Amino acid sequence: MKYIMKKSLLAGMVSFAAIPVIADVAIDGQIDYESTIFFNDSLNPNIDQNINNSISLDAEVYTEWADGSQSLTFKPFYRFDEMDEERTHGDIRELIWHQVADEYELKAGIGKVYWGVTEANHLVDIINQTDGVEGIDGEDKLGQPMVQLLLERDWGNLDLFVLPYHRERTFSGDSARLSSGQTYVDAIYESKNDEANVDVAVRYYSYIEDFEYAVSVFHGNSREAVLGADAVTGSILPYYPVISQLGIELQYLYEGWAWKFEGIHRDGVPENSIVIPSFGVVGAALLSTSLSLGEDESYFATTAGFEYTQVGIFESRVDLGWVVEYMYDSRQEKASIGAFEHDVLLATRWAANDNADSTLLVGAVIDYEYQDYSLSIEGNTRLMDGLSLEIEARVFAPDEGAPLYGFRDEDFIKLTLSYYL
Amino acid sequence: MKKIIIGSLLVLMSLTSFAETPEEKGLAIAVEGDKRGEGFGDSKVKLKMVLVDAKGRETSRDMRVKSMEGKAEGGDKSLMIFDTPKDQKGVAMLTFTHKTKSDDQWLFLPALKRVKKISSRNKSGPFVGSEFAFEDISSQEVEKYTYKYLRDELVDGMDCFVVESDPVDKYSGYTRRVGYIDKKEYRALKIEFYDRKNSLLKTLSNGDYQQYLGKYWYPSLSVMTNHQTGKATRLAYENYEFRVGLKAKEFTKNSLKRAK
Repeated sequence: MKYIMKKSLLAGMVSFAAIPVIADVAIDGQIDYESTIFFNDSLNPNIDQNINNSISLDAEVYTEWADGSQSLTFKPFYRFDEMDEERTHGDIRELIWHQVADEYELKAGIGKVYWGVTEANHLVDIINQTDGVEGIDGEDKLGQPMVQLLLERDWGNLDLFVLPYHRERTFSGDSARLSSGQTYVDAIYESKNDEANVDVAVRYYSYIEDFEYAVSVFHGNSREAVLGADAVTGSILPYYPVISQLGIELQYLYEGWAWKFEGIHRDGVPENSIVIPSFGVVGAALLSTSLSLGEDESYFATTAGFEYTQVGIFESRVDLGWVVEYMYDSRQEKASIGAFEHDVLLATRWAANDNADSTLLVGAVIDYEYQDYSLSIEGNTRLMDGLSLEIEARVFAPDEGAPLYGFRDEDFIKLTLSYYL
Repeated sequence: MKKIIIGSLLVLMSLTSFAETPEEKGLAIAVEGDKRGEGFGDSKVKLKMVLVDAKGRETSRDMRVKSMEGKAEGGDKSLMIFDTPKDQKGVAMLTFTHKTKSDDQWLFLPALKRVKKISSRNKSGPFVGSEFAFEDISSQEVEKYTYKYLRDELVDGMDCFVVESDPVDKYSGYTRRVGYIDKKEYRALKIEFYDRKNSLLKTLSNGDYQQYLGKYWYPSLSVMTNHQTGKATRLAYENYEFRVGLKAKEFTKNSLKRAK
């Protein structure tokens, strides 16, 4: 009897655990070593380094069961940075369960989602928070807790999101290059639920031949903070309002042309440049009483342009793409610091089509109102299987009074070696 | 009476066969070859691609391809997933072949979770750095070319039709292709590609043909040699599986994001 019980207990345990245990687990990893060289001394007297080293680790653990209809993905990330203690950080990029059924797909956990079509900036993309310390382009994202339901029908795709937790944007510390030189205090929220506000989002997308389109709606904690400055200490206080956003994405391909449009309309963002008087009181307590926010306003922003690709230029294997995108923000000079309120991106994209998949993107963002610009070069090549080299260089030429004026001596070149395990 | 009808029918048939132009004969060979490939349903295969440069140095890539046969007017659909090089792992490409209009193609970039539609204009461009162009690896629909039968010739002891096929699409990288198709099984043993200046650019050799499901012939090794650069690409096909029960929803733009 005892024996039988043991056996059935064991059987029960096995059947309960069988699904994940039997499945194969695939593990991949990547180690990046990165060195950034700044051409000039920092304007901040507290920073004396012109070379910054950093190491990061990405891993992916993946398993699937039930004939591949269910899976679990775990992607942890950790970075150590020599100069910036804010950049020394870890994150769970993904930890998500995914079920594919006949009529729907369901995801639950920490995930990552990308929305958008343009290159210069990513207006519509709102699900994941930007991991701001990772890179200046805002393309690195923090893992977002979510439940996502995907419906794929004849009339198109519908993705429904419930986002139960807000991640604060990461900002470089005061000892880092490419920072404001200020410290950031804990964020405050408009929502009485703070970061636990339940945000919701819907995106519908489909295509007709070479015309692709998407419409999205988001309501909840803004991913972009309104930044207030403490008048006395100079510390920066991020304030996350509750916003509503309508997003539109369009793309039309015709021969070598890709025409692109992204537009957002946002409601509920208070006017910028709030100054918080400091009375030596703990931030949150003070701010609940005396945070002076501007009126809530609504605005729209668009990015529109094209990419034209020439295949095999000069009878070589090289493809050359021309990217022109125009960026507009209806708030104009009142726009947030990171916004492109009246800018143009001009870029060329080179694809060598060689064994090493080498690519190069050279671009300039020109602000035609401030008469200033920034240049960027991004290149990538494979040194051998499992070892890649990436080069990023940026030159800032901001006009006095322009938002990026503080970056005028922050020109840099960054080399990243990626080793794939 | 019946006899007479049959007799005149035979005369008529032989007459038409005599009157068949090289274009008609070329098309008939292409149609027959296409017909013999019909009905496979769906398939899975592993590909090992080895790129050989002019100095003989080799680099390799591993991919898996799932295909689904098109029904009636629709062309085939295919999903290609990259396993190596390691930095490309998880990149996936979805292709909808169309008989007359340009193919639809999307690329999934896992690092950004971004699905990008690829312009069909790039069909003449190299496929992942290899000597195969995008148009060489896409499903070969009859309607994409016009044909001309040239002659008969022996290839590796096999009696072959030699048929020229000219791409209809003006963005093709070729003026013409010359295929060597064995008369018994209608397998393309060799294809020569002529560039836009009409000089010989590449030769594709398909070898070690295997028969699957007692009917379908597929090569186990394809070698594309570029005569102008001295480079070559070997493509080895491993573990072909047919009628594995793939579903249409595994070949959608949305499904690219979960391709593993």
